Amino acid sequence: MRISGKVLALPFDGIDTDQIIPAMHLTVIEPGGLGRFLFTGHAELAARLAAAPDSSILVAGADFGCGSSREHAAWALRERGFDAVIAPSFARIFLENAYNNGLVPIVLDAPGIAMCAASSTLEIDVESETVVTASGERFAFTLDPLRKSFLAGGGYLQYLNAKIPSIRAWAAARVAS
Amino acid sequence: MSGTYFDALWEAHVVESLPDGNDLFFIDRVVAHEITTPPGAIQIEREFGDRLYDPSAIVAVNDHVSPANDAATAEQARHLRGWAKRHGIRLYDVGDNGICHVLIPERGFVRPGMTLACGDSHTCTLGAFGAIAFGVGTTAQAGAMLAGCVVVKRPAVMRVRITGALRPPATAKDVALTVVRTLGAAGARGYAIEYIGSAVDAMSMGERMTLCNMAIEAGATTGLVRPDATTRAYLHDRGEPYADEERWFAYAGGDGAYARTVEIDANTIVPLVTWGTNPAQSMPLGEQVPAGASGDALAYMGLQPGEELDAFEIDQVFIGSCTNSRLHDLRAAAQILRGRRVQVPTIVTPGSQAIKRAAESEGLHDIFADAGALWTHASCGPCLGMSMGVLAQGMRCVSTSNRNFPGRMGAGGRVHLASPVVAAAAAVLGRLPTPAQLAELTGDAVCA
Repeated sequence: MRISGKVLALPFDGIDTDQIIPAMHLTVIEPGGLGRFLFTGHAELAARLAAAPDSSILVAGADFGCGSSREHAAWALRERGFDAVIAPSFARIFLENAYNNGLVPIVLDAPGIAMCAASSTLEIDVESETVVTASGERFAFTLDPLRKSFLAGGGYLQYLNAKIPSIRAWAAARVAS
Repeated sequence: MSGTYFDALWEAHVVESLPDGNDLFFIDRVVAHEITTPPGAIQIEREFGDRLYDPSAIVAVNDHVSPANDAATAEQARHLRGWAKRHGIRLYDVGDNGICHVLIPERGFVRPGMTLACGDSHTCTLGAFGAIAFGVGTTAQAGAMLAGCVVVKRPAVMRVRITGALRPPATAKDVALTVVRTLGAAGARGYAIEYIGSAVDAMSMGERMTLCNMAIEAGATTGLVRPDATTRAYLHDRGEPYADEERWFAYAGGDGAYARTVEIDANTIVPLVTWGTNPAQSMPLGEQVPAGASGDALAYMGLQPGEELDAFEIDQVFIGSCTNSRLHDLRAAAQILRGRRVQVPTIVTPGSQAIKRAAESEGLHDIFADAGALWTHASCGPCLGMSMGVLAQGMRCVSTSNRNFPGRMGAGGRVHLASPVVAAAAAVLGRLPTPAQLAELTGDAVCA
């Protein structure tokens, strides 16, 4: 999988999921209709998004996606056209949600983040785990190999579904002991 | 035994060690609420038919917006209701519900040695019972409902030892805020926290829940307190024992196996209040906004370094949420509100219907009403800006909840997190109290 696109730089640490998608919009029973509310939890973030409406790769600060577990944050980013988020670190639940929704979560160190944030566009090769800036700087990243297989969509539940027989056997043995 | 309590409990639930540090991890109980459950339930039905791993292991609660605000939230509640009925899943609904993290322990659905998952980050509250309980996304919750497991990386274990004794008017909320302030908003990312020490031993289950509730605010996967006589006394007339809970009551060992130890002296803990836009950005009541404070946070909060928070008029007080809506929280607030009048709109929201009834049997509702505060039904309330007291741009609210993020309680709304004692004092004064004012209102000695 290759991703190329324009960059939205939000160089702030601790962008929590309330800022990504405020709770007043969590009133759906299925994903959909959330993209227009992306980043409306914080005026500064919303303004930067409005100024870069066709961006598809987000470069953010540390601990991206902290706070609420709402998967709506990943849904809103996907619906608004984002394919990848690059940050120094991700909060645990958001990281899992990103993988489960085909949103590639890329961790880079500070120099890599700075170069990516300054680049108007980026090219990401998910298979070889590299990101290349418009001026040709190349950075390697590492994805979780198991969760990488979930990125294609629907993979997480299919993976667990296939495990049900062995899970039931484990649970039965636990009761027996 | 050499491993920590957390490690031993974790290992007892690993069905399979997966590549790359992930575990196929068994979940004994799934908690399902109306905001995050329906999309996953619908996805399961669409892709796998109408089957679940074990409906008896699921407890459903309409809690976030209950009763519904509008057609959309009514649809969410209706979906959860219909889905629960179809599968024979226990549901707690309008009239018999409460915040899931409050209701689950009250009805005995969490026991020592259990694992629990829920599409809600404050699921860590339940760690107070010596369980491993953590928040997950909708897809991961759906996986737990479909297959009984989640795929999760095992966290390292951090020990937070809280020695000494807490001195009023400091409360468990101030301990929780102190832990988050000490660790930082992401300081426990990748860790589970075991809270130990004399101050934790002395806490009631309600106070331990307040403490564990905010583990996520330091980025931790979860937090827990080992079960003891206090845990046993709380649970003895609630629910059914978990199969091997005696093993966990009896578990000993673990010293020295922690990846990190943080020491906190409860004798030094004073009432805290947040000045910023994450729960780690707090300071002792009466201090000035720190000189090195984040400019972005201060701009949002309408504050400058060196200012004192008691100089600002507030617009609202909220006493409630999964952090501070239990009976002892309400009693603490009532003690201050008794015979006084609130100066700003004050919303008091019990955590469950059972707590509401218990509070009313003590006459707390009359104290709140006499003070001019609004005593509501049980719900998550305005904590997350979905109902019952949402803030407008620039409004300043002193809240006993757990998050002061930008926009959390309404776009542009400003939230100062504090204990029920501080919040009730703020309601009476119309602004945050100074330590001297708080001491006068509580009758406690002035905090150092």
